[in-house]
Amino acid sequence: MTAVGRMLDGFSRRRRPLRSLGASGQLGYGIPTPAFEAGLARAPDMIGVDMGSIDIGPAYLGGGKMAPTRVGAKRDLRKVLRAARRLDIPLIVGSAGSAGARPHLDQTLDIVREIARDDGLSFRLAVVAADVPRAAVKQAIAAGRVRPMDTMPPLTEADVDAASHIVGQLGLEAFRRALEADVDVVVLGRACDTGIFASIPAMLGFPAGISMHMAKIIECASLCCVPGGRDTILGVLDDDGFELESMAPNRAATPSSVAAHGLYEQADPFDIREPSGCADLRQVTYRALDARRTRVEGATFEPAERLTLKLEGALMIGYRALLIAGAADPRFVARHEEIFAAVACVVRDLVCEDAAEDYRLGFRLFGVNGVRAWAEPPAHMPRETFVMGECIAPTPERAEEVIRTTKQYLLHHGYEGRLATAGNLAFPFTPPEVMVGEAYRFNVFHLMDVDDMARLFPVEVETVA
Amino acid sequence: MRLDSIAKVIRSKNAGPCLLTLDVMLPDEATFAYVAARIGPLRRQVARRYGRSENEVAVLPFAPALAIKITLPRDIISGDIGDRDVYGAQQHAPLLDIEL
Repeated sequence: MTAVGRMLDGFSRRRRPLRSLGASGQLGYGIPTPAFEAGLARAPDMIGVDMGSIDIGPAYLGGGKMAPTRVGAKRDLRKVLRAARRLDIPLIVGSAGSAGARPHLDQTLDIVREIARDDGLSFRLAVVAADVPRAAVKQAIAAGRVRPMDTMPPLTEADVDAASHIVGQLGLEAFRRALEADVDVVVLGRACDTGIFASIPAMLGFPAGISMHMAKIIECASLCCVPGGRDTILGVLDDDGFELESMAPNRAATPSSVAAHGLYEQADPFDIREPSGCADLRQVTYRALDARRTRVEGATFEPAERLTLKLEGALMIGYRALLIAGAADPRFVARHEEIFAAVACVVRDLVCEDAAEDYRLGFRLFGVNGVRAWAEPPAHMPRETFVMGECIAPTPERAEEVIRTTKQYLLHHGYEGRLATAGNLAFPFTPPEVMVGEAYRFNVFHLMDVDDMARLFPVEVETVA
Repeated sequence: MRLDSIAKVIRSKNAGPCLLTLDVMLPDEATFAYVAARIGPLRRQVARRYGRSENEVAVLPFAPALAIKITLPRDIISGDIGDRDVYGAQQHAPLLDIEL
């Protein structure tokens, strides 16, 4: 019998509270062993881990790369996989490989199979890829079934063709279809983090609102505690609410810390949105059970009138090269804007003699405008500044040519009132030019109406041995 | 009163790649009530400091956490050319010295 089968069988014999273990909010950056083992000792019914987020920026989705190292991802996956097989309970992994497109999913599955081989594990695995066929998106655009999220412009067919990968955030129903394939381990491409922990409750008939609310909290592990952290958390769900307890003894889930977690990275703290509907937190109550445990009740669920899929896509915009330097001359710092503009002109005249102006060159002066494009300069200029030049060009060679030329002319640029005629920049090392590689931007962040998720995102099952 | 002298937490982060969301957490009911009663002036000052019109700035009291949530569009979509803060985690600084 599979782990999912065994769990469903157990609950059909005797209905009881469900015990979910949120092992890690960002798999690949380490799962502290003491808290994880403490969680395993509490007889959990499942282990869930989220690997992804859109907050890490467009480079991972666009470039097909994981955010953590393969070594880090393998170490953490091994930990949860071995534990789930030891306890014979389901393991659910969401947003495989950070951005959850096919290359990320494949890298994750490759690691999972490698661990199974190395450690002699065998299990049934269900996989759902989150890539959305370009043709399906174009059809939806033509049918007026794609809408921009937030401040994005309307989606065009050209955007769809330009994006290197387009994924849809799979919802609870995709996790559920994967679990219903009677398996031990579920790995999904890009997915809503709530689906990881709300899908088993949905199969067992726990109320959708409170299940989603618990899922939203425990997918971040012990972040909802004081002090917040990445240690494993236990969520115990019944028909009226759920109880939270960090598996690290120094972390406490208090009513205010849990309530405050609702604010985190969310524009609206009262709603949790999913393709299938929305959990409403307006009537939620938080009650301390003791100094380290909180009970949460009251979330309700409003099913969506139509199924929507949140699309994410990124396209390559060129190759990035950087100049890294410092400056401590107050005259240079005071005149930095005109110096940067003048040097950009000198560079353009040189590198565009026999080529088009096909690149973008920009400067930041950390200490003045590195972190924000402030409307006004600071009242007092800093004693030292960090100078970063950034070029994005169509080829790596072009980006390198522009940034190396920039380095030379910024170093020796003669500006009015200059005293330091030997050089304007301090290089912390040489070469001070850094070739970063491919640069990406998000060009898809839209909602698409979908009639049949199962047809778009089929479940693939394999036996790993 | 200056916001950073009364708040327990003042932080910023992305809410998706297009939006910036700022949380101001207050230490007690009285301070929360003080700020929640001044949502209008707060919204005006936030709009001015972030270079936005007032109708682009949402300010929402969240009583369960004694917090005020402020959400506004990012100037540049996260990670796009010219962005300075991909995660949006250091965009809270203009809030610190707001007087209420």
